[in-house]
Amino acid sequence: MADERSSKVSKLERKRSRSPVDTNSSTKRAKVEKTEDSDDDDKKAIEHNPYLSHWNDGSNGFSEGKLPVGSALKHFKRRQTTAKQASKAEDGDNNPFTGEPHSEQYFTILKARRNLPVHKQRQEFLDSYQKSQILVFVGETGSGKTTQIPQYVVYDELPHLNHKMVACTQPRRVAAMSVAQRVADELDVNIGEEVGYSIRFEDKTSSKTILKYMTDGMLLREAMHDHTLSRYSCIILDEAHERTLATDILMALLKGITQRRPDLKLIVMSATLDAQKFQRYFFDAPLLVVPGRTHPVEIFYTPEPEKDYVEGAIRTVLQIHAGEAEGDILLFLTGEEEIEDTCRKISLEVDELIRETDCGPMNVCPLYGTLPPHQQQRIFDPPPAPFKKGGRPGRKCIISTNIAETSLTIDGIVYVVDPGFSKQKIYNPRLRVESLLVSAISKASAQQRAGRAGRTKPGKCFRLYTEKAFKEELIEQTYPEILRSNLANTVLELKKLGVKDLVHFDLMDPPAPETMMRALEELNYLACLDDEGELTQLGSLASEFPLDPALAVMLISSPEFYCSNEILSLTALLSVPQIFLRPAQKRREADEMKNLFKHNDGDHLTMLNVYHAFKGILGRGEDGKKWCHQHYLSFRHLSSADNVRAQLKRIMETHGLDLVSTDFSDRDYYTNIRRALVAGFFMQVAKRENNKIYRTLKDNNSAVMLHPSTVLGADYDWVIYNEFVLTSKQYVRTVTGIRPEWLLELAPQYYDLESWEGQKDVKQALKAVADKMRRRAAMKAGR
Amino acid sequence: MASEEWSDDAESEEVPLQHKRPFGSGLKRKRVVFVPASSGNLNSTEESKPSESSGPSKSVSDIYLSIVMPKGAEETCTDEANAPAPDICDICKLPVNAASDAADAGKPSSRPHQASIAHQVCIAHSHPPSALDRSRMGLAVLEAQGWDPDARNGLGALNQGISFPIKAKPKNNTVGIGVEVPKDVATRKKEKPQMLNAKKVRKMASDDKRRQEKLRHQFYGNPEVEKYLGLS
Repeated sequence: MADERSSKVSKLERKRSRSPVDTNSSTKRAKVEKTEDSDDDDKKAIEHNPYLSHWNDGSNGFSEGKLPVGSALKHFKRRQTTAKQASKAEDGDNNPFTGEPHSEQYFTILKARRNLPVHKQRQEFLDSYQKSQILVFVGETGSGKTTQIPQYVVYDELPHLNHKMVACTQPRRVAAMSVAQRVADELDVNIGEEVGYSIRFEDKTSSKTILKYMTDGMLLREAMHDHTLSRYSCIILDEAHERTLATDILMALLKGITQRRPDLKLIVMSATLDAQKFQRYFFDAPLLVVPGRTHPVEIFYTPEPEKDYVEGAIRTVLQIHAGEAEGDILLFLTGEEEIEDTCRKISLEVDELIRETDCGPMNVCPLYGTLPPHQQQRIFDPPPAPFKKGGRPGRKCIISTNIAETSLTIDGIVYVVDPGFSKQKIYNPRLRVESLLVSAISKASAQQRAGRAGRTKPGKCFRLYTEKAFKEELIEQTYPEILRSNLANTVLELKKLGVKDLVHFDLMDPPAPETMMRALEELNYLACLDDEGELTQLGSLASEFPLDPALAVMLISSPEFYCSNEILSLTALLSVPQIFLRPAQKRREADEMKNLFKHNDGDHLTMLNVYHAFKGILGRGEDGKKWCHQHYLSFRHLSSADNVRAQLKRIMETHGLDLVSTDFSDRDYYTNIRRALVAGFFMQVAKRENNKIYRTLKDNNSAVMLHPSTVLGADYDWVIYNEFVLTSKQYVRTVTGIRPEWLLELAPQYYDLESWEGQKDVKQALKAVADKMRRRAAMKAGR
Repeated sequence: MASEEWSDDAESEEVPLQHKRPFGSGLKRKRVVFVPASSGNLNSTEESKPSESSGPSKSVSDIYLSIVMPKGAEETCTDEANAPAPDICDICKLPVNAASDAADAGKPSSRPHQASIAHQVCIAHSHPPSALDRSRMGLAVLEAQGWDPDARNGLGALNQGISFPIKAKPKNNTVGIGVEVPKDVATRKKEKPQMLNAKKVRKMASDDKRRQEKLRHQFYGNPEVEKYLGLS
């Protein structure tokens, strides 16, 4: 099928390229626009002209507003269509967008689509959509809103006629990718053509794209260059209830843009009922509610507070398995380690349970963000069959972080076990530390979790806390991300977006003034903002990179240190999850393997060694996957680092940043790299206090230890670190030794001894270093 | 992530797996007790929507109120309140002569309305200035854009933002929600053993002795007790 289609496409292309070049472009174009929905006679005139591709910025493949011959959409009037018309077009034999005949699969999917809860309200949706510029749409998970609403909009918006796209944002990259794939199947088109997606470091769209799924962060990046988002005629913000940082900023931006661009439509989609807040924020926009396909959920509490929630959770799961009717279990825990640990314990316990009683089998599947995709897929496997025919049914038990709370739809879950905790990012602007902390969830979160039990049939939710605790100790709503994050990156983006007034920027939940101040100061030290808070040239350049400002600044200044190739690799490696694996059973072997790549001066250089070795293996055409497995490295993360590197390289090239390297045999090869690291990370420095204890400098004045994973061999009194880890102890992770002279030399503003306050010993040490430097300079000058 | 805490590994890996008793064998026999929620269950959007709209009017307290305080009574109440038409103070939104009325009817009030506590509390008063370091670049920028650090306002179009960053405390145990960890447990742990020399020991002994003496005096020094015991 696909082959057939592609051959047809290529034939078409050939035909087009043979067509005569049109010289009188503008008049023809005008003519086309006048007659676009009337006849096919003008076909010749609107045939593709390679010299005119700039006419619509190449953003739309129906370049001259052309529909395929005999398209069902021909008589549609933009923003005046009805559900009936659209259904008729969908039922046609040919695809109204491509003109190709529909595949068989299309009709099976179409049937399923017509059964989704949103379908019943298609006309109602179109009515409200056409009437109002902004619409708040509430549909619980499973209502089909993420896949269907954008299609309804496409059929009404007819994006190919006005050369504007429809965008639908998602908070997560995986969701953007998988939903786009699904919708491409539903519309019977190839992914990347009419339906595409765009996520950080990957753009799968073409000039034909009319519907684009993207992460909210990507849309924000597009807005930096196109302040009014002129490429789009409708923007759908999905999962707005999650209140991610980017979604919050986008809402504030779009609130302004919709005022300036009356033709732009905005749909805010949320899965929870607190939509009134969105309504109020968007000038009392109309609200449309679609019920999800959910069943009632019985909620249970413990009469007494649970002493140990992990143990309580394990026991509850076993209790359900032993005593409750058929249905899968979903248990919410906080992090990877806890989940893996609990998985093991439950599996062992179930084995014992099966030996003693006639329990059915149970599959225990972990689920967390860093789990490899093929293992994530396991959660969709059907539960195991009973041991013998007619025996007790098998069960699946999914142990998940809060990603199963809203983003993933898993069918078959009937029992939810909720200990009431999740890991949350919290930023402390006084210490300048962003940390992931286990904290109690909110009421809204708890309700969302309970709702997961009612997807297929009436379910039960077991909460491992008292009803009193639920009412009195849990906060109403989870704090939006913007209140819990370091805003340095956000402020840089806002500046680039042309937001002048940060104080009165109309955010739904404005952050604390101190957090904002800290972000401004950080950017000031990085020379991205001047003292008046205006964007500098460096800042403007740094905002082009989808990276943290510190990383971006390091990358931009790396050519000055003759090591931009290496810093580029390092930046890519630091933007992916940990590349070193350390499976619980094979820790010693993994450590030995890591030692093979060890560089005495620190972890950054060790990572670089790994990357170079990895590229060497690939370059020799050997099996990279096998090599990674042997060396306890993550092939997935290394490859994605490779991909990230390629993307960053492209950005560097477009901005004229040189890619250079010091000769490897040069004495300064590694020194240069370390110096370049200091240029970006001078705010993350720790000085040794005594044997093992280091102390971080300035605002974050706390005693830390080097993370046990470090390879730092040589004795260094000063180190830079990539990450501050707050567990039972405070660690700094991914460290590299540096010389204090570099700090004074490369960040004189930050290490200004005149205005230094506190940490007398550090000041003294730096002063001694400064004196030494001065003496040396004087000697050199004297000679 | 997996390498979070691997300083203290070793100990768990010694026993071969097949000989190891599974974690907390027999755990399952200790049941976790559950009680159903008192305030209803979770329903789908559709079902919960009507209940939500009618929620406030149908709540138990409203029903109770409607029985105890019928509508008619309410109206008469307001009528009464309206009748004297007292002048309402602009600042505290209280009737100016109400306090004096209540205290001693007829007589002129002993102190003016302005001196009443309710009024004083409501007067707009200036707060102490914010503790932020005035030399900070970030503060200067925000001030330039019209934010006043001393006005106790947040950011945002209506200055509605939070005024302080969200605080978090690290949690490094698996204690469930609502468990109250007694505070003294933590403090007692922190006490360090002290080195004692002879002098200190002697002092402690004498202190002890004195305390004992005092206690005995308290218990038995009372003449009534002595009388009861037949000592006097």
